[in-house]
Amino acid sequence: MEDMVHVERAMSTQQDIKIKANTVQVYYGENHAIKDVDVEIADKTVTAFIGPSGCGKSTFLRCINRMNDTIDICRVEGDILIDGEDIYHPNVDPVQLRAKVGMVFQKPNPFPKSIYDNVAYGPKIHGLARNKAELDEIVEKSLRKAALWDEVKDRLDAAGTGMSGGQQQRLCIARAIATQPEVLLMDEPCSALDPIATAQVEELIDELRQSFSVVIVTHSMQQAARVSQKTAFFHLGNLVEFDDTDKIFTNPQDPRTESYISGRIG
Amino acid sequence: MTDATANPIPGTASKGKSLLEQDDRTKRRNAAEKRFRAYGIAAISIGLLFLLALLWAIINNGIPAFTQTFINLEVELAEENLDPNGNRSLEDIRKVSTFGYNPLIGAALIAETADIETEVSDGDLTKILSASAAAVVRNYVIENPDQIGETVEFRLLASSRVDGYLKGRVQREDLARDRNLDAAHLDLIDEMVTRGSTERVFNWDFILGADASESRPEQAGIGVSMLGSFFMMIVVLFAALPIGVAASIYLEEFAPQNKFTDLIEVNISNLAAVPSIVFGILGLAVFIQFAHLPQSAPLVGGLTLTLMTLPTIVISTRASLKAVPPSIRDAALGVGASKMQSVFHHVLPLAMPGILTGTIIGLAQALGETAPLLLIGMVGYIASNYPDGVASGFLDPNSAMPAQIYEWAKRADPAYYERAWGGIIVLLLFLLTMNIIAIILRRRFERRW
Repeated sequence: MEDMVHVERAMSTQQDIKIKANTVQVYYGENHAIKDVDVEIADKTVTAFIGPSGCGKSTFLRCINRMNDTIDICRVEGDILIDGEDIYHPNVDPVQLRAKVGMVFQKPNPFPKSIYDNVAYGPKIHGLARNKAELDEIVEKSLRKAALWDEVKDRLDAAGTGMSGGQQQRLCIARAIATQPEVLLMDEPCSALDPIATAQVEELIDELRQSFSVVIVTHSMQQAARVSQKTAFFHLGNLVEFDDTDKIFTNPQDPRTESYISGRIG
Repeated sequence: MTDATANPIPGTASKGKSLLEQDDRTKRRNAAEKRFRAYGIAAISIGLLFLLALLWAIINNGIPAFTQTFINLEVELAEENLDPNGNRSLEDIRKVSTFGYNPLIGAALIAETADIETEVSDGDLTKILSASAAAVVRNYVIENPDQIGETVEFRLLASSRVDGYLKGRVQREDLARDRNLDAAHLDLIDEMVTRGSTERVFNWDFILGADASESRPEQAGIGVSMLGSFFMMIVVLFAALPIGVAASIYLEEFAPQNKFTDLIEVNISNLAAVPSIVFGILGLAVFIQFAHLPQSAPLVGGLTLTLMTLPTIVISTRASLKAVPPSIRDAALGVGASKMQSVFHHVLPLAMPGILTGTIIGLAQALGETAPLLLIGMVGYIASNYPDGVASGFLDPNSAMPAQIYEWAKRADPAYYERAWGGIIVLLLFLLTMNIIAIILRRRFERRW
């Protein structure tokens, strides 16, 4: 049984490269937050970023859809390529990029609107639906994918903020996938959730792998081990080790990785 | 070892003591807390006391302004005085000025008081009536020329002294220095009151009417200056709200953080504290002397008050934009909304209650502002009645409620003093209404996340 899982995971890593980062540097003013990160993230896999607090994993994640642009003092050097295209090229509009690279945040942050409007907002502003029927279809599909449809189909007009934390986070996932992105970034999506909601979201992440390349930042090593095929360990702004998840957790090459996994640093 | 027991370690002194008994330290702390609470309650009580005293003074002094004494009089509209030609042509009737009516009113008064024994000479009788009485009768005749020759009952304003005497404002002793009225008049009035030919009724003219000259304070009203205030508020609303909100959104959401925007920020905060008279002189220099807009016009007043209100609106708008959690902006940007879409679709609707509240508070502040209006000439006697239309409402000389109150308080006749207090009640009612609207809007549109 264990072996079969390993085989499946090994297979899944044979995919095409979706995101490729070359010597990425990130500065917050004078602070050199990310140093020389090279990473290749495969399509249709779940890649986990782990590391102690302040190691730069979230910062790097936010570089992939240029959310760091909103921070004035933040400066990014190096290339990040998605499907071979440099997303920091001056011709690239971050708004277009973010439609292609969806994001789910640490704290569930539904808009204070109805469930329907939450999911429909992205498709609306990107013009993905020509009419109401199409929009309804997108909303239903997204909510189904986010494993939320059965719970909310009778109260789509209810406020998104009135749901439980786990439901809110799944609503945020539905909202993110409604724009039909190719990459889904998740910044500690379960850190504000209880264990049951966490299990639901993790199950969902595993299903989302069929359609997207998922990158997840997590504080929980167990979570990384459970959901990801590849794991990257960040420490003090450096990408220390990047390999198959099994290898990172069973046979890490770098002594720092081993210390972190065994709980000696962190 | 013995040393250690003789000098116990600090912090162990209370060890072994009963919890049922407070030690000195705890007692002192509790006493200090009790004292502090007493100070707080005392401070609030003093504040409440002042508030009550203020309200009592305002209501006590101002309520009489809302009622006015009228004298019911049957006036014979004699044809030989009003329409000597007898052809009822309006042109002829108009030729008779109020002077032509005075003898009729005098005769009516003589007839009315014929059976009362009084030392007042017949010619002095009209002093118990307002100087406006003749104009009231004349207007009636011009509107109803067919009534000429009939005897019609009029309700005419009593003079401000008579009104003051019946309200207790004018005492008999005061009349020694009064050239208009003497004790005999008051005896006559007392007799007329017992006969029921006087009436004290709610005075709509005070709320709706125009200001009146010093010779007839009983006729003065705050209505026209209320309209002046209204037109100014329209200008302030439509100038300050868009400018203020646009400036705040730009500064809060789009502007880069640098020395220049910091400077702007500091200056906006400082502008909020600039004395309003400074804005008045700025309005005088810019709008009247430079731009040659009409003097004393509500348009200019509104623009000047806009300058004064802008910092309030900018500050409250920025505060409510800041209060929208950043996670909402992240969420919008995360699904690929542009900066502007995230602001207008998500941030602005959430900030709306705060913006509206700030705007209404700013408007209320502008409504009560007097000093800038002094400098642009919006204070003074407005002889005309209501403006003829919307355009003249903005451009014709007018006053504003607080300026009218200031003007009344300045005049010598105590009847105006009473009206100043009454005006304050009207103004406070407006401010109260605006604040209630602000609270309702905030409650109504507040959304939780």
